[in-house]
Amino acid sequence: MRKTIKSPSILSIDTSCDETSAAITQGLTVLSNVVWSQSKIHAKFGGVVPSVARRQHERKISWVVERAVNTAKIQYKNLDAVSVTVGPGLAIALGVGINFAKNLAIRYQIPIIAVNHLDAHLMGVFAQANKNNNQSGLTSNNAANLLMPDNRLKHPAFGIVVSGGNTLLVQIEAIGKYEVVAQTIDDALGESLDKSARLLGFGYPGGAVLEKFAKKGNPNKYHLPLPLLGREDEGIYSYSGIKTAFNRLVTSLTERKILTRQQINDLASTYQKVAFDHFFRISKKTIIKNLSNETSYLLAGGGVAANVDFRKRVRTMCKKLKVVPVFSYNKKLYGDNAAMVGISAYFKFLKKEFSNPENIDRLPNLKIDQAM
Amino acid sequence: MEIVSVSTVKIDDVIRILDKGGLVIYPTETMYGIGADATNSAAIKKLNRYKKRPAGKPYSIATSGKTMAEGYVFINKVAANIYKSLLPGPVTVVSHGKHNVAPGVESEAGTLGIRIPDHKLVIDIIKKFGRPITSTSANASYKKRPYKISDVLDNISESQKKLIDLIIDSGELPHKDPSTVVDTTCDDLTVLRQGEILFNNKNEILSRNEEETKNFAKELWQKYEIHFGRRAFVFALTGEMGSGKTVFTKGLAKAVGVTDLITSPTFNLQISYKLQTGHQSLVHIDTWRMSSPSEIYDLDFGENISECSIIVIEWADKIVDEIKKYTEEAVVIWVQLTFGKRENERLIRWMVAK
Repeated sequence: MRKTIKSPSILSIDTSCDETSAAITQGLTVLSNVVWSQSKIHAKFGGVVPSVARRQHERKISWVVERAVNTAKIQYKNLDAVSVTVGPGLAIALGVGINFAKNLAIRYQIPIIAVNHLDAHLMGVFAQANKNNNQSGLTSNNAANLLMPDNRLKHPAFGIVVSGGNTLLVQIEAIGKYEVVAQTIDDALGESLDKSARLLGFGYPGGAVLEKFAKKGNPNKYHLPLPLLGREDEGIYSYSGIKTAFNRLVTSLTERKILTRQQINDLASTYQKVAFDHFFRISKKTIIKNLSNETSYLLAGGGVAANVDFRKRVRTMCKKLKVVPVFSYNKKLYGDNAAMVGISAYFKFLKKEFSNPENIDRLPNLKIDQAM
Repeated sequence: MEIVSVSTVKIDDVIRILDKGGLVIYPTETMYGIGADATNSAAIKKLNRYKKRPAGKPYSIATSGKTMAEGYVFINKVAANIYKSLLPGPVTVVSHGKHNVAPGVESEAGTLGIRIPDHKLVIDIIKKFGRPITSTSANASYKKRPYKISDVLDNISESQKKLIDLIIDSGELPHKDPSTVVDTTCDDLTVLRQGEILFNNKNEILSRNEEETKNFAKELWQKYEIHFGRRAFVFALTGEMGSGKTVFTKGLAKAVGVTDLITSPTFNLQISYKLQTGHQSLVHIDTWRMSSPSEIYDLDFGENISECSIIVIEWADKIVDEIKKYTEEAVVIWVQLTFGKRENERLIRWMVAK
């Protein structure tokens, strides 16, 4: 007989867009987190743009799940639940993960939990490293301080999700209960960084490469307009304007001659700075507007949070606002991955929020504040 | 609100209403328009409430002829040629305004569009009224083109209906495009909206800001809307980064009744929005990240075509051959956006694939 105090072991799957990922979590502890990145595969073939990939997901998913299970040293029959991202994302890609999860749930007669990918990005900060296997010396973060013993939040908090497909700021009343207070009306921050990187010839996705060049550049060398000046109280981010301005700037410089290494550094640095300036300008004003005496934490998730400068600026903003920033303990938890799905699923498991495997379906346009 | 037939309407009654700042719906040779005294601020404010227009969008005005027009705009040589050869008729001529109209009628740049409708009753009304009236379609912003009175009334709220003082009913009008709008303020004549009358051999308009790009998308949709439900639509968009492809899609979405926030599909590759009308969707695709054109089939492209959905494809030039396969089943419209001379200007060309 299983001991009741043991946290549930959950197998989670995420195939929301490019990445095929599976993870095993036990409560908040990450036992394994396998991410098969399409961009890495394509990078091998000379930086080709990643592909849609229903077939890629279909080809990889068994291997990825198998590997997550083996790494965690768990057996399928000992799983307490399987969870899967149902949205938002690309419908056909989501479908691959959902079908796989559904079959597992039926075969092993375990509950299936439908997870919102955006919720997962926030819940990822609560993930804890496996202490028995903590060879990298990772220390867990301060997220646990925000959780009460019964897994409710001590205080209301804020959350940001900044990735290739999303840019939003939410107010968190309770786990799973969000109110969007700011969001992008066009491009996502991560997408904007990737596109500017492409304009500089870095290939796709180039946000991470842009960061490297930006470090060596002068962020004030060129002028780019800051979007939505004077409209900071509308709760919107917009990246299409600076993208256009940047395209014009790069075009005008390359008309004369090929960019020098230093120019590329300066351009990368300028773009990244203005893109972040805009994000923090809007975020700060929006947070101040919604700040109560009780709110004292900011959870940060999404691939852009892997950017060192971005995290630095989150800390700076939080210091001014007297809010504690909370990041995931491991960089791998920022981008799309299944461990964060497992954490989100764990909170749902406690509330017995299970889905019927026959009815579980993809929700490509799912919003963070939308009931499933 | 009173509805009178075109055969029984008394011009004096119409003038009395216009004089008091009222709104009158009237027939023209293109579609139904809504008229307010263009020199009366209160009347224009009432019209703004009725139209629910984005702030800063100007109104064209209808005059009885060139002489009346000269009291409100500077007519240069380019404009004079058009007045002489094409007016009255479905052309709106934009010139520098003389600031003799109510605020909000001229554009922020001080230009003003003049229209002389080819419709005797309307000309008689304006002549007797002695001042221009607004020349804008009788529908609310982004709603159905008004060819009959029910097109107007079925698509507005009760509170909007209350704002209308008089409707002159002329039955169902022949379905014509709205007037061609030409800007004559520069030496080169620029087409801002293309109707039945063509000024150059290519389909090309100049958009001066994002709002106009959205508006163009709406106009383009309304030109071909009649095929909706029977054939799919493919809007194949081309143009470099930042040229306004997503902006175009926002305007199209608004015109087809999608109220969701339209954001860039670059990351997801495809985002679908359910249409209110039935089981079809507005499918917004971005091929920018695709490595091979065949990936479009991974996105259920064929299914969306057979469901008669409206498909918008950004960076469509990457999948030309795939799109060509569907010219029978779908209305395929190629839209090319390029940067104009000024910062916010875009030249937009379009072509319906045959």
